[in-house]
Parts: sequence; C-alpha cells; structure tokens
Amino acid sequence: MAIADFIRSARESFNVGWKIESNWTDPVLFATYRIVQPLASLLIVAFIVIIGSGAFGPGLPKEFLARLIVSNAFFVYVASVMTSMGWLVHTDRSRYEVLKNIYISPGTLHSYLIGRGLVSVVNGTISVLVTLLFSVLIFNGLLNLGIPLDLLRVNLLMLVPAVLLGIASLIAIGYVLCAVSLVSHRMEFILGESVTGIFFLLGGVIFPPTALPGWVQPISTVLPITYFLEAVRISFGVETGPYLLNLAYLTLATAATVIAGVLVFRAAEYRARQLGLFDRKSEY
Amino acid sequence: MTATTLTFSQVLLANFRAAYARMWVRLKGSNREVTWMAAEILLPILTIGAYVILYKTLSLPASMGTAVIIGGTMISFWSNVLWNMSAQWFWEKEVGNLEMYLVAPVSRMAILLGMALGGVVNTSMRAAGILVLGIFAFQVPFKLNDVFSAGLVFLLTVASLYALGMVLASLFMLYGREAWHTNMLLQEPVYFLSGSYFPTIYSGAIPLGVQIAATAIPMTIGLDAIRLVTIGGGNISTVWLHILGLIAFTLILFPLARKALGYMESLGKREGRLTLRWQ
Repeated sequence: MAIADFIRSARESFNVGWKIESNWTDPVLFATYRIVQPLASLLIVAFIVIIGSGAFGPGLPKEFLARLIVSNAFFVYVASVMTSMGWLVHTDRSRYEVLKNIYISPGTLHSYLIGRGLVSVVNGTISVLVTLLFSVLIFNGLLNLGIPLDLLRVNLLMLVPAVLLGIASLIAIGYVLCAVSLVSHRMEFILGESVTGIFFLLGGVIFPPTALPGWVQPISTVLPITYFLEAVRISFGVETGPYLLNLAYLTLATAATVIAGVLVFRAAEYRARQLGLFDRKSEY
Repeated sequence: MTATTLTFSQVLLANFRAAYARMWVRLKGSNREVTWMAAEILLPILTIGAYVILYKTLSLPASMGTAVIIGGTMISFWSNVLWNMSAQWFWEKEVGNLEMYLVAPVSRMAILLGMALGGVVNTSMRAAGILVLGIFAFQVPFKLNDVFSAGLVFLLTVASLYALGMVLASLFMLYGREAWHTNMLLQEPVYFLSGSYFPTIYSGAIPLGVQIAATAIPMTIGLDAIRLVTIGGGNISTVWLHILGLIAFTLILFPLARKALGYMESLGKREGRLTLRWQ
C-alpha cells in the first residue's frame, strides 16, 4: 500500500512537472527548444575535431568523432537532471511558494522530487534521441563524413541497463542538490551548473579520462557518469572495453549515490524543519 | 494646481541619476555574494579546461587553446547580456518591480543603460579572473602586438552586445515561462555560431550559410577580431572591417532597442501582461 501511494504521488508530481515544463507553448515550439540546445553543444565539439583535423591534423579521426557524438548526446541526461533538480526547491519555495504545502501533504517530498526528476529524464530522452538522429543526418548525410555510427546496430540489451542505472544515479545526485537547496539560499544558480561542469570535465565526455592530469584521474574513477557513458559507448560499438566490468562499477557507484542521496536529504530535511526553512523566501 | 514642466537639462539629469542608481544596485547585488563571484569565474574554467584538454588529446597547436580561453572569457559577457540584461524585465516582473520602473519619471532606456553599465563592470571583473586563471592553468601562448586595437575591439564588442541585450529586453518584458527556455536556446547555439570554443567560424569546414548567419551576431565579429589581434598578432589594419561592423551593430541596435521597448510596453499595456506573474 505504501509503495502504491508512493508511486501514485510520484506520478502526480510527474504530471505537474510535465505541465510546468511543457505547456507554456505549442508542442512544435517545445520540441524545437528541446532539440536546438543539445544539437548546438554537439556541433561545437564536432567542429572542434573537424576544423582541428582539417587545418592541422593528419585526417579526420572518425572513430573519435563517433565516440564524441554518443557521449555528448547522452550527456544531455546529466545537464537536464542537474539543472532541473538544482533549481527545483528554490522555484517551488520562493517563486511558486508551494514547497510548504507539498511538504505537509499526505505524500512525501521524496516521491515529489522523484516525479519531478523524471520529467527532466523524459525531456532528456527526447533530446538524446533527436540529437543522435540529427547527428547522423548532419555528419553522414549532409557533410558525408562517413562517421562509423549506425543507430540500427545498437545493442539494446547493453544500452538499457546502462541507461537505467545512469538515470538512477543522476536522480540520486539531483536529490543531493535538492537537499543542499533546502538548507541554503542563493545557491540555485551555482548548484546544477557546477555539477554539470565537473562531470563534463571529469566524466570522460569529450576525451578519455586518461587525458586528464594524473592527480584528478582518481576523481574520475569514482564518478558514476564515467562508467555510464563508457557502457553506453560500448553498447553503440564506438568503444571497446569490458562492458560487464563497467556495468558492475556503475551499479556500485549508483548504489553509493542513492544511499548518500537519501542520507543527505534526510539530514537536510531534519535541519530545514528545525530551522523553519520550508517557507523561507529569498529575493535578490 | 499646475504640472511642473522640467527643462531638458533636468530631464537629462534625472535619467543619468536613474542610470547611476540602477548601476549601483547591479554592482551591489552581484558582488555581495562571494560564492557567486567565485562560481562565475571557476565554472567557465571547467568547460574551458575540457575543451583545452580535447585540443591536447587531438595534438592540435597550443594557440587553439588560447582561442578557447578568449572565447570562454567573452562568453561571460554573452551570459550576462542574456540573463541579467535581456531577461531582467522578466525577473523584475516576477518579483513585482516592473510596474515601479514603468511609473518612474525616467526613460526605460536610462534604466537599461544602468543595468548595462553595472553588468559591464561586474562581468569585466569576472572575465579578467577567467582570463588570468585560464592562462595560468593552461599556459597558452599569446601574440599581442597592438594593445590599443585589442582594447578598441573589446569595447566595441561589449557595446554592441549590450545594445543587442537592450533589444532583447523589450521582448522579454512580455515573456512568461518561455523567458527561461528562450535564454537557454540562445546560449549553446550562439556559442557554436560565434565560434567561442573553436578558432573561428570562418572556416572552409563550416557551410557558407552558417557563416553568414553567424555574422549577424555581434559576438562572432568581435571574437574573431579579438583573436586576430591577440593570437594572430594583428593590428588595426587587420581588423578595420570588424570595427566597422561592430560600430554599425551598435548604431543600429541602440535606436532599435528604444523603438522596440516603446512598442512592447504599449502592447503589454493593451494586453494587460505587464504585471502578469507565473505565466
């Protein structure tokens, strides 16, 4: 019964979140907004490689470009979840002034946050799919670069578990961001962007983690995003490596982030109740 | 009772004082949080660092890293224009300040000018931090022979960017939730089109149509000129065309902003959208 209530509560929260994020415009414009940003991000890194290799390099490193396309496309999940959950508490508390009402309602704040986090996952999924599709159309169709990326030959049995675990770890990290937001103020500008920036640099997104300076490589090896993206790349066939080992590390890292997320959130929730922070308004 | 008629100099003085007051608020508001300033310097370094390492991974010349650092530095101005200039009327509307600006006996342009001046000072401090930290962390080469030209193209780029911000501010005045999404939409595509993270958009690898479209953004021309002077060792004769382009942008966008602001304000009044919150 408790689980059914939790799921129902998360579903309602998802519905609310989806309306907030999508019903400000018509579906076509909404889809355009979801596509343009990740596609532009991808074009930036792709043209770094294309221009760089054209002007100075021995030739276009097509395998590297394929790796880059897949990594960048799936990094959209990170940016989407971190940005959305980094702002969530502030928006509901200060802008719409509903956090206190949600907190005292029969459902828990946990199910609410998960429901809202899943909205950014759905948004991210739309962006990932369209980015991949447009990448093939632009680089292999329009520019005829012959990038070794075949979307029809993706190993879904490998891809689906990696994506599910990756999303779970991202929502757990998003949970931590919500916890920090709960007990702080004026941090919402920084939270999501900081974590996204750190993951972009250290998560092996646009270059292998081995290219990082030696002293930061250990940080890269404990981030779930590193294993998430590597497992995804293996399932797309753009990287070779031990898939099962990656999945095992990803499972471990996800479990650790989920436990840390729940513990940190409970501690923040307790502190927020003690200090009466659920209805704190911060203006600038 | 008769209405007091102000002389031209009194009107001018009132507008300058309004601009100064708005600038003061901006300076005070943005610099009171040390964490914001630190984050605004360190966050771009994360992205810049990723791209510099990508260049190294591809064994490309170190000067391309310099181009990325300059691009990343200039991006801070574009972000400021977007979030603190274009979207400012939207934020003001959300917190209930917009109506106070509208009833104030000064031009809206004076308030926007104050915002822009405060934004330029704030962002220049942060941009200097990004540049110094970037050079220190990644040890990239510069070839600056003409400081005057570098300073001139920088100032003209900033002026044209903030003039564009004033035009966009009129649009955002009536925006609801789309303000957020529009800003997001204007980030990465402009980073790409302006060539912020690669040496130049004017490359044979980029379709001509994209290059032409990119030229309509002041950041593209300004960034190209700054790079030609600071990395390529160019001087005023190298970038005179860029300078003319940036002056043209400013001269066109500034009066356009005034017109657009007047039009959007009257439209907002007719449709009753100037005080509408939580759209």
